Amino acid sequence: MNHTLNITANNEASVVERLLQVARYRGYQLAGLELTPLAEKAGLSITLTVSSDKPIHLLTSQLHKLYDVRDLQLASADIAALRA
Amino acid sequence: MNGAELVLKVLQQQGVDTIFGYPGGAIMPIYDAIYASPVKHYLCRHEQGGAFSAIGYARSSGKVGVCLATSGPGATNLITSLADAMLDSVPLVAITGQVSQAVMGTDAFQEIDVLGLSLSVTKHSFMVRSADELAATLNEAFAIARSGRPGPVLVDIPKDVQLAAAAEPSDAASPQSRALNTSLAQSGPARQLIANASKPMAYIGGGVHMAGAMPQLQDFLTQCPMPSVTTLKGMGSVAKDNPYYLGMLGMHGTQAANLAVQQCDLLVCLGARFDDRVTGNLQKFAPNAKVIHVDIDPAEINKVRFAEVSFLGDMRQILPAIASSTDCSDWLAHCSSLKLQHGWRYDHPGERIYAPLLLKQLSERMPDNSVVCCDVGQHQMWVAQHMRFSHPRNHLSSGGLGTMGFGLPAAIGAKLARPQDTVIAVSGDGSFMMNVQELGTIKRFRLPVKIVIIDNQRLGMVKQWQQLFFNERYSETDLSDNPDFVALAAAFAIPGHCITRKDEVESALEAMFTWPGPYLLHVRIDEKDNVWPLVPPGAANEDMIMESN
Repeated sequence: MNHTLNITANNEASVVERLLQVARYRGYQLAGLELTPLAEKAGLSITLTVSSDKPIHLLTSQLHKLYDVRDLQLASADIAALRA
Repeated sequence: MNGAELVLKVLQQQGVDTIFGYPGGAIMPIYDAIYASPVKHYLCRHEQGGAFSAIGYARSSGKVGVCLATSGPGATNLITSLADAMLDSVPLVAITGQVSQAVMGTDAFQEIDVLGLSLSVTKHSFMVRSADELAATLNEAFAIARSGRPGPVLVDIPKDVQLAAAAEPSDAASPQSRALNTSLAQSGPARQLIANASKPMAYIGGGVHMAGAMPQLQDFLTQCPMPSVTTLKGMGSVAKDNPYYLGMLGMHGTQAANLAVQQCDLLVCLGARFDDRVTGNLQKFAPNAKVIHVDIDPAEINKVRFAEVSFLGDMRQILPAIASSTDCSDWLAHCSSLKLQHGWRYDHPGERIYAPLLLKQLSERMPDNSVVCCDVGQHQMWVAQHMRFSHPRNHLSSGGLGTMGFGLPAAIGAKLARPQDTVIAVSGDGSFMMNVQELGTIKRFRLPVKIVIIDNQRLGMVKQWQQLFFNERYSETDLSDNPDFVALAAAFAIPGHCITRKDEVESALEAMFTWPGPYLLHVRIDEKDNVWPLVPPGAANEDMIMESN
């Protein structure tokens, strides 16, 4: 199933490739990626959609650890599905 | 002051007095600064060896290890060591030189994208773009390496940044780990689980000693009497006189440890991560056990095994908070009888040296606070099975990555970190050759490291699996054309001796320990000797294969 993650990250050169590496390595296929620099220059808003049969917490717990990830939220549809 | 001099200054501010590395073009300004710096640099003979020495230094002392390499091949040679530090949670700062920014991205001489290469084997990797960022970035690298679950951090510094004018760094923040958020909200349910368990078991990993929680662990095991087992990295965590310690669990664990874990009804997992070498078939691992999991890394909780109760944070606070009296005297008696019933046997027939017995003799003869650095393979498992350690910092073994070539350079780092303690590298004939060039480092610095090579003229662990699971098709595991190891050591002015018979062992160990300098003991064993017990792939841990099977 698809999961959408809303991520706020430091706008560092390697942050996007690192996110993609972790998603790939942990077994999640890329299904969508949007990047928007934040008004404050150093930030980046990222919407990452991944597809996998694995529970999404196995990915979010790894992404949370990344140095350049400031905030990470599951999209509300995902949270609703988890609660259902 | 230029950027390179600032690097050395920041290292000093971080309390670093020992670094390991190898010079080259893109890091020459930093090596020029080393020339006049009080920070002592140890020249290794390969960047991988230098980084393993930094890891040995870090693991034996609890400090951050520091290694240096130039761009391109120097940097790529660090990758295996960074991965080793990542999987074994070792605080390490690796500094690499990079080509000047003016030519970056042009495939310049010795240019490689080490930032990109390193990302998946570090906690974080930095590229420093200006001398103004240098001090803050390096301080941050040390903070990341130490904080939370420790690990490696890479800082890539272009040559022009090293040469640029830099302001004197202000005093660094004191080199402490960042504060941890520790929630004890689940203490009540945890105490309840422990109090109600009739067969509790403590499963102890490397996270306990890295948290500085060894005293709290002993108190916990006293207040809540329960049997305990350790992972490879947790060995030495439980006091030697604890009667209910059953040894290492897992693929080559003791029978008592594996049988008892399979029977327990509560597993208190402390700073361990349910690694596949520990659990065997995960679905069949400790099938009747509820789990309390204590760790510092949120990603380890519920990663492979569901925990009924979990804690994140400082083990030193959590252990006292969950201590609860236990009522399991029958279970303790049962585990003691398992330990007695399945004790090691050393009555090996014949005159040839039996490695488990030799390592037991070595363990009994070495001073109590000796550091033993292993390589990877059969000898590594024999060390874990047959040697006893008083602290996990005294047993350096490449656990997660399982890196052959780890032992000799790690022993160099350990000897420099703890010059007052005896340091022994126990290697195999395969592993020893993987970083044999570091004999040059031992020679140069006259480091009194004791080297024991357990030589079966084979890649023994692979051969054992070929024998058991690949129809005895011994593909590429014959090393019978090994060099003469004693002559090889002699070429580096290191004396040595070769033994083949049991009755030579005691006098050979005596000679090795009484010799004041480095020494190599070459021990030839029968290639037919294997590591037992063994949990076959896919099997449950109670289905161990024994020698007689």
